[in-house]
Amino acid sequence: MTRRQPFRTPGPIALLLLALLAGCGGEKGYPDRPIMLICPWSAGGGTDTVSRKVAALLEQELGVPVNVVNATGGSGVTGHTRGALAVPDGYTMTMITVELNMLHWRGLTNIGPDDFRPVMLLNRDAAALFVREDAPWKSLGELHEYVAAHPRALKASGTAQGGIWHVSLAGWLDAEGMRADDIIWIPINGAGPSLDALMSSGVDLVCCSLPEAAALMEAGRVRCLGVMAEERIADFPDVPTFREQGSDWAMGGWRGLALPRGVPEERAERLTAAVDRVIHSEDYLEFMEHSGFNVSPAPPDQFREVMEQFDRQMGQILTGEAFQSVRRTRYGPMIFPTVVFLLMAVILLVLVVRGGLRRAEDAPAIDRRGLVRMGMVPGFVMAYLLLVETAGYVVTAAVLLSALMVGLRVRWPVALGTAAVLVPITYQVFAVLLRVPLPWGWLGW
Amino acid sequence: MIDPTIVEAAGQVLLDPVVWLAVISAAVYGVFVGAVPGLTATMAMALLVPVTYWLPPLPALAAVVTMVACAIFAGDIPTILLRIPGTPASAAYADIGSGLSARGKADLALVTALVSSVAGGLIGAAVLIVLGSQLAQVGTLFSPSEHFWLYVLGLSCAVVVSRDAPGRGALAVLFGLLVSTVGLSAVHAQSRFTLGNPELYQGIGFIPAMIGLFGVSEVLKNLITLEVGPEGGTEGIPPAGSNRPIRSLPLGIVRLMRRPLAVLRSSAIGSLIGMLPGAGADVASWVSLGVSRRSGHDPRTPDDEAALDRLGDATTANSSALAGAWIPALILGIPGDSVTAIVIGVLMMKDLRPGPEIFEKQPIIVYGLYTIFLLANLVLLPIGLAAIKAGGLVLRVPKRILMPVILLFCVLGAFAINGSGFDVGVMLAFGLIGFVLERRGVPLGPVVLGIILGGPLEERLIQVLTASDGSPWAFVDRWPARVLAGAWVVLLVLGLARPRRRSGGGRGEPVGSGNSSRLSS
Repeated sequence: MTRRQPFRTPGPIALLLLALLAGCGGEKGYPDRPIMLICPWSAGGGTDTVSRKVAALLEQELGVPVNVVNATGGSGVTGHTRGALAVPDGYTMTMITVELNMLHWRGLTNIGPDDFRPVMLLNRDAAALFVREDAPWKSLGELHEYVAAHPRALKASGTAQGGIWHVSLAGWLDAEGMRADDIIWIPINGAGPSLDALMSSGVDLVCCSLPEAAALMEAGRVRCLGVMAEERIADFPDVPTFREQGSDWAMGGWRGLALPRGVPEERAERLTAAVDRVIHSEDYLEFMEHSGFNVSPAPPDQFREVMEQFDRQMGQILTGEAFQSVRRTRYGPMIFPTVVFLLMAVILLVLVVRGGLRRAEDAPAIDRRGLVRMGMVPGFVMAYLLLVETAGYVVTAAVLLSALMVGLRVRWPVALGTAAVLVPITYQVFAVLLRVPLPWGWLGW
Repeated sequence: MIDPTIVEAAGQVLLDPVVWLAVISAAVYGVFVGAVPGLTATMAMALLVPVTYWLPPLPALAAVVTMVACAIFAGDIPTILLRIPGTPASAAYADIGSGLSARGKADLALVTALVSSVAGGLIGAAVLIVLGSQLAQVGTLFSPSEHFWLYVLGLSCAVVVSRDAPGRGALAVLFGLLVSTVGLSAVHAQSRFTLGNPELYQGIGFIPAMIGLFGVSEVLKNLITLEVGPEGGTEGIPPAGSNRPIRSLPLGIVRLMRRPLAVLRSSAIGSLIGMLPGAGADVASWVSLGVSRRSGHDPRTPDDEAALDRLGDATTANSSALAGAWIPALILGIPGDSVTAIVIGVLMMKDLRPGPEIFEKQPIIVYGLYTIFLLANLVLLPIGLAAIKAGGLVLRVPKRILMPVILLFCVLGAFAINGSGFDVGVMLAFGLIGFVLERRGVPLGPVVLGIILGGPLEERLIQVLTASDGSPWAFVDRWPARVLAGAWVVLLVLGLARPRRRSGGGRGEPVGSGNSSRLSS
């Protein structure tokens, strides 16, 4: 308001120029920039494979890049949380999985199905039970008898403690009137390593989906005792269901696309329509069939119903008394850190007493100027983190890179030149070629 | 003698221009991905998948195999030139490699790494071809207790390798293990040390930590000593050598030929470890380095020569680990690492189901794959030389320009892995930690290994304890576990007893954080 006139004009002009240069004069309609698809599981897994296929097809459908980002870790907490808390502008989508129904019951996150606006249910994988080929049990009934007669004699695995396959198995035991921990669960991360353990007699049973064990089943090394589905799975017609063998238990995982809650309705609908076309394309169906994934799409309303039904079921299992006893393992989460910490303390003590931690002789002394130069590094990184979301990668990186170089007494034309060449190249390579979601920012590069 | 299908498969691979195109573009892509820390082979693989939809099976496989082989070598380039490991598999020899570079032997070190990688890759491929089916059975012997010992063995190698300072090496490993416990524990899915911060649930990623420990701390170290000259001229860059890598090539090959047994030993270690799920090229480097260090060098060998030999052994092992990972994938349909997990997905998409029958049903694919493995490693040689040449140019850039650029790449690399700003913060924190540790003479490589193996080690420990209801005998109740435990004891006795005697009273003497003093002591 009291700003002087001469400072006022360049601002708008520069902005106008920028807008012209970037060619983004206002809302041209959704979507007009890259969409990020968050996958809460690591690259290479089933969820990732489906995510990448859907992303590749959506990209053709929508005409903008759709980048898959693997936000992994924390049993799915990380990815689901990031997806739910993303800005609801329709440019962030999440491939949500059944863990969304489980994590909040286990107190690991506050995020639940209500934080998402469902777009499309893509597939459902029923749980199945596998034993080694030489195992004495030929059917579910025989296994049932054995477990009832010898509680806590068998060991099973398939995923981490409290994962979907664990819940599936514990839920079956519970439904059959046994205790959920009558079969000891050995937490092994992932179906692949669990099947390894089955082969090496580390465990007696593995609970996972059918495609995951298909190769070993075809090779005649494992036998499937049954699948926890309502009816037989098309790709595996020889595998009997639990229902056929006298148990009403059905359980499994699901995957689907969702947006954070609060996305403008017309955008959500535009996306849903695009996804709908994608999942009915021949390309997609062929891919899913070859990869062994089951295809059972459902539109948003039904997807929500599925989630709600799972949520109730999971709530019953996970908060039930039977499962609570399973959750308390004797070998708790603090054993390992304690052992490591104690060992470290001993070694640290020995080193300090013997003077082994003195400054290395050839480490250069730090003078004041050196300290200032060093301080530029955290300065650079923190300024980058602060600015990049608003200003975008290109502007932030160019400004900071030249500033740091000038700070190190590089002549400024050299510094500006280097930044002007390098930053666009890195953007092209990382964001365009390698699909790293670098922030878009003012320039809209 | 020669099966006609083998000839046909080889012909299909070698005479197909699409295969050659795929191999060469994948090689260039692999070199780039490997050389930039933070871009991992797994991520590069995931990006390659949509491309493989359009390709027939053999070119698709060719692209994958070549990309990974080139990436693992290219990781050595920034490791040796800048002391920033491009891939975790190179962290084991960051000190050795950059020490050589600091003494003007960058060319020789890089060419040694290249030649050893090619040899390791070829021998690894030979192992896959000849012994694959038999070795796949070894994998099925590994229950959680064997894995436990394998991880302990890998970690102990990192301690043993920290010459003259096993105490500090152990401190580094334990620090890494402790860092790995932050976040939601894999076994119990309960949060530890997260201070209620959801970002910390995913734990501290080893890639951002590695970039910080090596990359950022190196930038910090360089900025301290940066002379502020009157002009913006060149200063303080280690002599890059002649930058004529091709001239060092005969020397590198001669070095390899001189030690056939060591090459075979390193390849064997690499193949075996690569084959086991949950252990890959990174563990293979460390174990090979640990064994190489113990296997009685002639004390009269000059230090640089010994360093080059050890560098060669480690690079041989990590390259042959790559083919090893295909053994269980191809034969049992169980992936040996995340790359082969994606490969299995690609194969299934093309209606090829890996498993024992693939040999009968799809012999062309299997023999074609074997040919591709040999081809990929041969292509690595010229592409690798070109990459070394290009890498050498980096050292001509004045430090005051180079350091800011490296810092930008560190930020990009840390961000790229998960697309999260939090990881960039982790990178900065570990940069400062690495800087302090380094000045106190604590080696950084073992910290990275600790972070990588902490999760799996804990998982196996808890699994064994749960299965046996707490009996410690469960760790040694099977013969493969006993063999590994025995190997561990031998390693500790040999590794920790000898250097003390050798270096006499020099225990308390500070050992250089830098590379030169450690190697020439």
